[in-house]
Amino acid sequence: MPIRLTIDDDLQRSRLTVFFRLLLAIPHLVWLSLWGSLAILVAIASWIATLISGRSPDMFHSFIGSYLRYSTHVLAYLFLAANPFPGFTGRPGYPVDLVIEPPRPQNRWVTGFRIVLALPALILSGLLLGGGGSYQGAQTGAGATAAFLGWFVCLARARMPAGFRNLIAYGLAYSAQAGGYLLLLTDRYPNADPVQHLPSESEPPHPVRLTVDDDLRRSRLIVFFRLLLAVPHFVWLLLWGIVVFVVVIANWFATLFAGRSPASLHGFIARYSRYAVHVYAFVFLIANPFPGFTGRPGSYPVDVHFEPPERQNRWLTGFRLFVALPALLLAGALATVLYVVALFSWFVVLSRGRVPLQLRNLGAYCLRYSTQANAYVMLLHDRYPYTGPAVPLAPGPAVAEPDHAA
Amino acid sequence: MVVLGALAAATLPYLLRSNVPSGLQLPHVDSGTYFSDTQLDRARDYERFLELDWILSQVALVVVLALYAARGERFVRESAAGRIGTGMLLGMIGLALVWLSKLPFGLAQLWWERRHHVSKQSYVDWAFGNWFGLGAEFLFACGVILIVMTLAGLLRDRWWLAGVPALLGVGLLFAFVQPFLLPDLHRLRSPALAADAKRLAREEGLEQIPVRVEEVHKFTTAPNAEAVGLGSSRRVILWDTLLDRRFKRKQVDAVIAHEFGHHRRHHIWKGFLWSVLFAIPVAFAVTEVARRRGGLQDPRAVPVALLVITVASLLLLPLQNTVTRRYEREADWVALQTTRDPAAMRSLMRTLAITSRADPNPPAWSYVLFQDHPTIVQRIALADAWQQSRAAAR
Repeated sequence: MPIRLTIDDDLQRSRLTVFFRLLLAIPHLVWLSLWGSLAILVAIASWIATLISGRSPDMFHSFIGSYLRYSTHVLAYLFLAANPFPGFTGRPGYPVDLVIEPPRPQNRWVTGFRIVLALPALILSGLLLGGGGSYQGAQTGAGATAAFLGWFVCLARARMPAGFRNLIAYGLAYSAQAGGYLLLLTDRYPNADPVQHLPSESEPPHPVRLTVDDDLRRSRLIVFFRLLLAVPHFVWLLLWGIVVFVVVIANWFATLFAGRSPASLHGFIARYSRYAVHVYAFVFLIANPFPGFTGRPGSYPVDVHFEPPERQNRWLTGFRLFVALPALLLAGALATVLYVVALFSWFVVLSRGRVPLQLRNLGAYCLRYSTQANAYVMLLHDRYPYTGPAVPLAPGPAVAEPDHAA
Repeated sequence: MVVLGALAAATLPYLLRSNVPSGLQLPHVDSGTYFSDTQLDRARDYERFLELDWILSQVALVVVLALYAARGERFVRESAAGRIGTGMLLGMIGLALVWLSKLPFGLAQLWWERRHHVSKQSYVDWAFGNWFGLGAEFLFACGVILIVMTLAGLLRDRWWLAGVPALLGVGLLFAFVQPFLLPDLHRLRSPALAADAKRLAREEGLEQIPVRVEEVHKFTTAPNAEAVGLGSSRRVILWDTLLDRRFKRKQVDAVIAHEFGHHRRHHIWKGFLWSVLFAIPVAFAVTEVARRRGGLQDPRAVPVALLVITVASLLLLPLQNTVTRRYEREADWVALQTTRDPAAMRSLMRTLAITSRADPNPPAWSYVLFQDHPTIVQRIALADAWQQSRAAAR
């Protein structure tokens, strides 16, 4: 990858600077906007030069590269992905940093239509990070949501949760690639695969484990009519969901009383949750086949394993809905990402008959998080969902795909 | 066959009973008396295009479904849904292919209707505005496949013994709730017409059946009306295009009386009995053909079953048209007896033909294949015959 993120952060945060983080970042935001205005002019000059010579001039490349690195430093600081106050020059060495390769020849066609081609990546970048994103602003981005929630955690514990930090870092990495693509640092399309950006990221042990065992092949006809084909599943999901709603309330009383979820209720809710995962994996193109209606374990390439019922903290059970609010907030932000990823995948699959690995993996991450969050709300366990962008791939031969694929 | 024969023997006398006198001779009516040459040419031109478009769409449909029947098995591997779920998937893919195959012909039809100011729908609305309806079709198909494959799994080739009654039960249920599913309905706003509707309902002994108006003027200029529902859900539905001053009050009265006539003569129930008579041989044919694909309990049989149902429906179309023409004729007769106004009926037919660009006297092949109502000329002749029979009775 010509633009990649490096992390050298110990998760420790200063409560005082975290509390005033937004105010402290103001000088950087002002400087960033000024530098950004200049960077746009330079990018236009670079665009003309690249169209003529087939390569971005070193001077322009260096200027825009410094700007991009600086903006990553500032956003990492603002979103609590790093602790120290960054410098104003974009010099390498910040705990969350960018490595940018020197200029290489670029395809003139891709250069000519760069703004149009960059639009999907910019939309996804806005949804993954927020704050400075081009889509809906800071409120709805997954990274911005994690930063908002992380602010409270840092004030309480003087430490950023690894999951939050990693999600923000992933958003920063993708946004940097999207920015670098738009500003002509490279003609390699941004890669949305969390595995590529954070190869060492792995999910800590969790009682709800999603597995993805999928070969990326998709039937164009079935993809074209995917939403309509899912209509019977939506109806069944709704009808089953009404019963589950009642069962969850019963489960809440039972768990509050006995300290653990009764096996029969746990099994019933788990079955429904697994069925919902199968349906959503189908609808959002994370898997190919038409799912069954029973939520049987092992019957679908995207599956979920639930540990048997364990003892649960009664306080956490009693206030479960309130405690789950942050997870639901984040799940909402990731659901928006999932919708957009599915939309992009839909178009790609219709032309190629395969879903891009990066979009499949991003979708699987979003689905994994929402499954864990829902299982938490429905009292299947009392372990909080893991926020980091770990992709639940099944063990076995990896599916190979060139990382430049859109 | 024995069951079918017994059913036919038991029901046909009732189904064929009519209050139109059996030996009624229709007087000759010259279409030139009611329509100018230009109007006749325009109507023929308009209808022939639509008929050609329909024939081509059916040819394309059969070809697509034949290909699907031959190659559709491969979609089995796209499913992780077990036997019945996979059957549902294959059924829905079949419907999707039906939709795709009809798309260009539907667009051509819309273009033609827009050109003749019959349709007001935009192409985008037409293509994308009805996805909800398509989803409902998919859901309905899944329900049918669920019933058939479950019964085929239990009863094998005798599935139809329980399947046909079950499917007709679903059909009856749908017919009952259909009036409640129609959007944009309202009461008659004209006090005079509302009073007429009450009077006509009273005269036909159907005071409990309300008349409602459906708002369709945004999509079409074509006039229409229908009798819908069963039991307490019975309604007479008038399209608001009948009430836009192109039709006189007496003409609308004739339409209302005609639709009440359908309810009075129990045509919806009779239609169901005909469905039973048609459904049994079709179910038999489907079972026979599906047996070569492992029987209807096997999802691989679904594409071929779709093809058989489509072809059977096409083959039965002339017979169905004969049945519906008979009932439309009877409803016209009831309307004449209720309104006692053959002049209004004649002028209604003339205005209907002009506003909907209907050919008053289509060729025989068109009559057999497409006309589910008597021709305009036949309906005018029926009004004449009613008038003559009344004069003779005096």
